[in-house]
Amino acid sequence: MKVESVLTNKEVPQVITDAFNECIQPGEQLLFVVVGDLSLEARYGESALGVTGDRFMVYDPSREERVKTYAHSDVADAKVKRMYGNARLRVNFKDGSKEDVFRFTYAVATLADMAASFIENISSGKDPESEYEVVAATYEKLMNVCPRCGRTLLHPGAECINCQSKGKIAKKLLKYIKPEVKTLVICLFLSLLTTAVALAPPYMTGKLVDQVLPEKNRAALLWIVLGLLGTYIFQHFIGALRGFLLRRSGDRIVLSLRNDVYKKAQHLPLRFYDKTSTGSVINRISGDTNTLQAFMLRISQEVVVQFFLGIGIIIIMLVLNWKLTLLSLIPVPLVVVGAKIFGRKILPFYRRTWRRWAGVVSVLTDTIPNIRVTKSFAGEERTVNKFNSYNQEWLKTDIGAAKISTVFPHIVSFFVTCGTLLIWAVGGNWVISGAGGLSPGLLVAFLSYASMFYGPVNFFAYLNDSYQQALSSAEKVFDILDAEDETDEAKGNCPPIRGKIEFRNLNFSFDRTKKVLSDVNITIEPGEIVGIVGTTGSGKSTLVNLLMRFYDNYEGEILVDGVNTKEIDLQYFRSQIGYVQQDPMMFSDTVYNNIAYGKPDAHVEEVIHAAEVANAHEFIARQPDGYDTMLGERGVGLSGGERQRISIARAVLKNPALLIFDEATAAVDSETENLIQEAIERLISGRTTLMIAHRLSTLRKANRIIVVDQGKIIENDTPEALMALKGKYYKLVQIQTMADQLAKSKQEENFE
Amino acid sequence: MSRFYVDGNSARFTRKDVCLVDMELFGGEKVEDLEPRRLFPVSGRMKYITLLDSEGKEHAIIRDVETLSPESKEVILECLEEYYLIPKITALLERTDKYGVLKWTVQTDRGVQQLRIRNRNSDIKQLYDGRILVRDSNDNRYEIPDFRKMDRDSLKLLYCDI
Repeated sequence: MKVESVLTNKEVPQVITDAFNECIQPGEQLLFVVVGDLSLEARYGESALGVTGDRFMVYDPSREERVKTYAHSDVADAKVKRMYGNARLRVNFKDGSKEDVFRFTYAVATLADMAASFIENISSGKDPESEYEVVAATYEKLMNVCPRCGRTLLHPGAECINCQSKGKIAKKLLKYIKPEVKTLVICLFLSLLTTAVALAPPYMTGKLVDQVLPEKNRAALLWIVLGLLGTYIFQHFIGALRGFLLRRSGDRIVLSLRNDVYKKAQHLPLRFYDKTSTGSVINRISGDTNTLQAFMLRISQEVVVQFFLGIGIIIIMLVLNWKLTLLSLIPVPLVVVGAKIFGRKILPFYRRTWRRWAGVVSVLTDTIPNIRVTKSFAGEERTVNKFNSYNQEWLKTDIGAAKISTVFPHIVSFFVTCGTLLIWAVGGNWVISGAGGLSPGLLVAFLSYASMFYGPVNFFAYLNDSYQQALSSAEKVFDILDAEDETDEAKGNCPPIRGKIEFRNLNFSFDRTKKVLSDVNITIEPGEIVGIVGTTGSGKSTLVNLLMRFYDNYEGEILVDGVNTKEIDLQYFRSQIGYVQQDPMMFSDTVYNNIAYGKPDAHVEEVIHAAEVANAHEFIARQPDGYDTMLGERGVGLSGGERQRISIARAVLKNPALLIFDEATAAVDSETENLIQEAIERLISGRTTLMIAHRLSTLRKANRIIVVDQGKIIENDTPEALMALKGKYYKLVQIQTMADQLAKSKQEENFE
Repeated sequence: MSRFYVDGNSARFTRKDVCLVDMELFGGEKVEDLEPRRLFPVSGRMKYITLLDSEGKEHAIIRDVETLSPESKEVILECLEEYYLIPKITALLERTDKYGVLKWTVQTDRGVQQLRIRNRNSDIKQLYDGRILVRDSNDNRYEIPDFRKMDRDSLKLLYCDI
């Protein structure tokens, strides 16, 4: 076969290209190359696996013979053995020998998987052309990354969601300021007004010292005092009004930001939560949004006000005495340079403090909702100690930050004070000598303006501090806001669902370290009731998690009625699935609202009917508050079986096309199990149903059983056929029957 | 159900393959093709080594590698060394933080490596003993054995992220 160009995952180093070219025989062509990153001795360095139609060759810098070639026809099987932080391509040859031919980190594990499967398939006589198509498709998918940040793109040519949204923080925050812009402009105007008025008192004081007091002019004194009173009243009245308006706008800004973060958090894929603690997410929604709000107000108000105040004061000072003005500017460069250094030093501290605080919050979110477990294991002391140690860590880091953030302002104040001293020393001398036409009143007024001028200087120096704090918070908030949503490229595509499910060549791993599912191929016809069995951790729940699209980063396809589930509107698709878990989650709400969660507009009688079908109505009716019974957090107040029946009622009300029961009766007693089983049987009639079960007795209605073992489907047939096969299912049934008999005889013994 | 623990007095090991050993109990029983794996790869690397067969079934647990005979200890350690690749970062040479992706160029005991860290909050874990565990965007693991012993330039870069 001929190909236009060699497929590679990155540029092949010249030394490897040359080495491969030496081995290539006339008429032979390299089809693809996997450039690796480890030698067989586990040293970083470039290695490579090159594959042609007849052979594969491996370049390894740690070997004396750098390139080794192998014929596909000699290979019995080729597999990737995943280890910890690295993997090997292990080949078993037909002559019985075996060899680890290629070693690499997880960065190229998927490509190595693909290469192994290509080699194995070619050696078993499969068509090279169609195998090459699979290879080309894998390369296209994997090489489809953003050139800037390296993240995988949704499809070739798609814009990178990550880079697209990475603009300047201020630009992003502007979106939240925009709706409040009118009020903020009014506040700004009021601020400028009060600032302008604030410039008058020093001038009046100067007049008082130079003219009114020496001339003993009582009438002028009264006017100036009244004038000062007027400016103070004006300043404080307007200040109060502005404060109120600003607070209102600020609250609205933080509300909208908080809502956005929360909304986004709801739509993030589960893999985000696999890696991020809920405590840190709560911290971002509750704490960081407030920090950002404060910063936004500071930027939109104080910066402008302080800027104009500074400019206004400088003009007045220059008019009063330009020489003294230049003197008073001496500390400014020191403050500015200091602020820059400070900003650089403080940011890592703020980040660290944030992380420590997130740790404290995660202990809270872990332990307070689990207070029952803590108490039942008498773990109060341990919990308190753990909380204390996290708190201590936070304290240590915060004190580190405090050292810098408190020392710096004092250094600034010291320079500022020195500036004032300089004015006193030089200006006072001029007043005494009568040089420069400086009067005592003018000096007093100048000093007042000078101290006012250091206000804006201080402000801009500290602005960096609050900017760094906001930057640290913004990173966390935008970590959520900029994160990729659950992929839903098929919005609006809502085909009717009959219930045929197909898993085709499905491979999945949560974090590349271990394959959780491999080569899963199953077809389930509409209306079939399929039991999924297997030991704990075999991959049963992962299978349904993928069907429900909780994770989308799998290889292969999942089709429903012939349509790839990724091409169906995500919300619509999930609304077509009834999902009943082992430990059903209840919300802190009424029983009624908990049942109607999936269909809030359901008619009352529909809800009652659903409860009836789920065998829940009777126990609900027995509650003093009936359907209005308020449930505690996570359903406190109901037994496990009662919660389970409410969750079945939820599924009944949804009237789904597909049903999934994930160990629905695992945590209840036999009597309750019968009630639940009855409810389930009513619900499943005519619907495609997947039932994951440990207790095989719950699968009595299943017309097919799938046995999952170590991520692979090892048996798939009717229960009768599997019993005849005497394989894994048969063994499971035997073990459970024995266990049940043992339990029964023990019961009888006790009874006698 | 109780686990079957072994030590130097009850078992010896011989190398079978890159990551496989044969276990011979002093009672004479022999179990072949076992893969040693750490039960505590992060917190206790020399203790509690489980021995699994190709089906993932555990045959024994070595309580403490140090109690084994020198030959057996060497065999087990060699297998573990092959299985676990957690390069030790000795210096942080370069750090960039652009487009929301943190990139480190590090000197490790296995050579120089450039790694990309998706989320500094969840992928860089600082432990109380001075160790720092790092996970890159490909789920490879790295370890800084004691960050306090790193050179000044590395620390300066590291402090931006921990």
